[in-house]
Amino acid sequence: MRKLMSVLIVVLILGCSAAPVLAKDLSIIEEVLKKVDEQSYFPDTDVTALMSMIIEDPEEGLEKIVVRYFRRDDGERFLLLIEEPQTQKGQGYLLEGDNLWFYDPSSRKFMHTSLKESFQGTDARNADFSQLTYSSSYKVVDYDEGKLGNFPVYIVDLEAVDDRVPYPYAKLWITKEGNLVLRTQEFSLNKRLMRSGLFPSYARVGNGVLPTQMIFIDELVEGKKTQITLTEISTAKLPDNVFTRAFLERASR
Amino acid sequence: MLSVVLKISARNVWRQKKRSFLLAGAIAFSMFVITIVNGLTGGVVDNIRVNFSHALGGHVFISGSEYREQGIVYLIADEQALLDSLAHYETSIESITRRSQAMPSLIFGSRQAMQLVYGVDFSEEDKLLSSLVVTQGSLERVTDEQTIILPRTVAERLGVEAGETVLMRLDTITGQRNVGEVIVAALIEDQERYGISAAYVNRSYLNSLLGLRPEEYQALNLFLTNMDDADEVGRGFREALGVPQPATLADIKEMDEEEAVRELFGMARVEEIEPWEGIKYQVTTINQIMEPVEAAVNVLRTIGLAIFIILLVITAVGITNTFRMILIERTKEIGTMRAFGMQQGMVRNIFLMEALLLSGGGALVGFVLYGVVSLVLGQISWDTMPAMQFFLDQGRITFDATAREVVLNTCLILAMSLLAANFPAKAAAKLSPVKAMSSNL
Repeated sequence: MRKLMSVLIVVLILGCSAAPVLAKDLSIIEEVLKKVDEQSYFPDTDVTALMSMIIEDPEEGLEKIVVRYFRRDDGERFLLLIEEPQTQKGQGYLLEGDNLWFYDPSSRKFMHTSLKESFQGTDARNADFSQLTYSSSYKVVDYDEGKLGNFPVYIVDLEAVDDRVPYPYAKLWITKEGNLVLRTQEFSLNKRLMRSGLFPSYARVGNGVLPTQMIFIDELVEGKKTQITLTEISTAKLPDNVFTRAFLERASR
Repeated sequence: MLSVVLKISARNVWRQKKRSFLLAGAIAFSMFVITIVNGLTGGVVDNIRVNFSHALGGHVFISGSEYREQGIVYLIADEQALLDSLAHYETSIESITRRSQAMPSLIFGSRQAMQLVYGVDFSEEDKLLSSLVVTQGSLERVTDEQTIILPRTVAERLGVEAGETVLMRLDTITGQRNVGEVIVAALIEDQERYGISAAYVNRSYLNSLLGLRPEEYQALNLFLTNMDDADEVGRGFREALGVPQPATLADIKEMDEEEAVRELFGMARVEEIEPWEGIKYQVTTINQIMEPVEAAVNVLRTIGLAIFIILLVITAVGITNTFRMILIERTKEIGTMRAFGMQQGMVRNIFLMEALLLSGGGALVGFVLYGVVSLVLGQISWDTMPAMQFFLDQGRITFDATAREVVLNTCLILAMSLLAANFPAKAAAKLSPVKAMSSNL
């Protein structure tokens, strides 16, 4: 018995002394997150694309929304102009720095909204069309290494640093090569899985990358998901007046 | 002189019992109809007001919002101005309820519905519990932490029954996503069509999802000892808390559509919200909420009054014809009385007094009939008709015709009768005694 106790104590002492050695170096992942954010930021080029959203709702059925997407990260601006369906045609979102406006041509009014809000009742959020801010909004809690399909990935657990982000907890699958986010899971304040995201394809835009396919799955409503595809991607310079309320009003007519 | 007129008139009324009965019966019916309409609408308004106040948790509602960097946060703090006002109106306040509220998505399987949810402390909301009409489940375990009382129509939309669990997806007060799980304790009759459709959960649980402490709240509601003081107390709180006095329906009629919508529903269709310091309060009273209901009930009252006037006109024609017949029947009698020295004025007064006795008696009978019918109907329990419960008091119809309405209706009947009998009375007074006595009638 005494021998067994001695062995246990030795094991414990060794375990404790080895713990710092085995502690994960989270700074590696912090660097990866910074790279993820950096390559989602296009300071030197404008981006234009056509977004097709297919919303699968078990109650409403299938719905398609087509949106013209204009983005200029220098000045944190984007403009989303709905082209389909006919009932929503002309509605638009304009991001000007910290302010996000929603324009409805039927009332001719601009209303203040937030990046946290969902886009037109889909599973996408307005923030999904802007640059990523994982490294500044979240701190790394833990990470693991694994594989997603054939890709070696970091599986990263994040916790929000403040309440500016809608999901206080998140989990990311980031490729070791290229730092692409392939999968996300977002959790509520009480750590319940609320939304999953899949990003199977990317396009290179300048020095960065832009997901050309995004699938957002509502983890609370069975069978509800939104698939977003980006086509007609262009990096041509846009006139400055595109990112103005006047342009949105004119384009909505 | 009056007693003689009264005596002769009463004798004349009594002489033709059948005719008097029919005439007074018509008047009694008119009186009964208008009083029952007044009583019913009055009772319905009272009951809706009481039921609204129970569902909303008070007669005066105080809510507050704070402007923070992340956005507007709905919260009340025990500020001095609020505490002073509460102390000032201490004698007028019967009880206080504190609530939180959210507009979450309720999710069951693949279905979801947006629903207003009140977080209430059930231990201080006995009035709410007693006013709810339960259609499924029970309120016995409602004090359990994670339970919800759900409107029946919402439950039908979700396909959920009592005892099952629904998810509640909402945002915290700072805009972060959160989700809770609640067991449906009971389904209640929905009042959506009357502007109230609310689910109820425990305040402490809702607070935990909203990111508030268990004891915090977003609305302070006051039950007053006398509901009629709601406007005065509301005005006092607004003055103390620096809240502008609200626009009335009359003011809104002058506004354009957009302005009116903003005033009525407090919708901020403004381009930009100006930040503010501290807590911005909002004070609403039960009477403000009841304004559209009362407007609808006033339409009913007006229709009732129109029917009453039509009935009165028909009765007036009957009275005129009857008194013309009476004039013909009593021509000789009038001649004899005139020959014995009765003045023209007295003959006229006897006719008019007869009309007054008939209409007064009819009005009295109509009112008594209203009393009997309202008493009988008031005893019947209408529990089998859940959709009606919002109009009822504990499942029973109540009638509340005001004294002003009864007096006004009685005066209308008396005036109409006098008017109708006036022409035959004048004709009777003008009869020549000689011609009248020589008449063959």
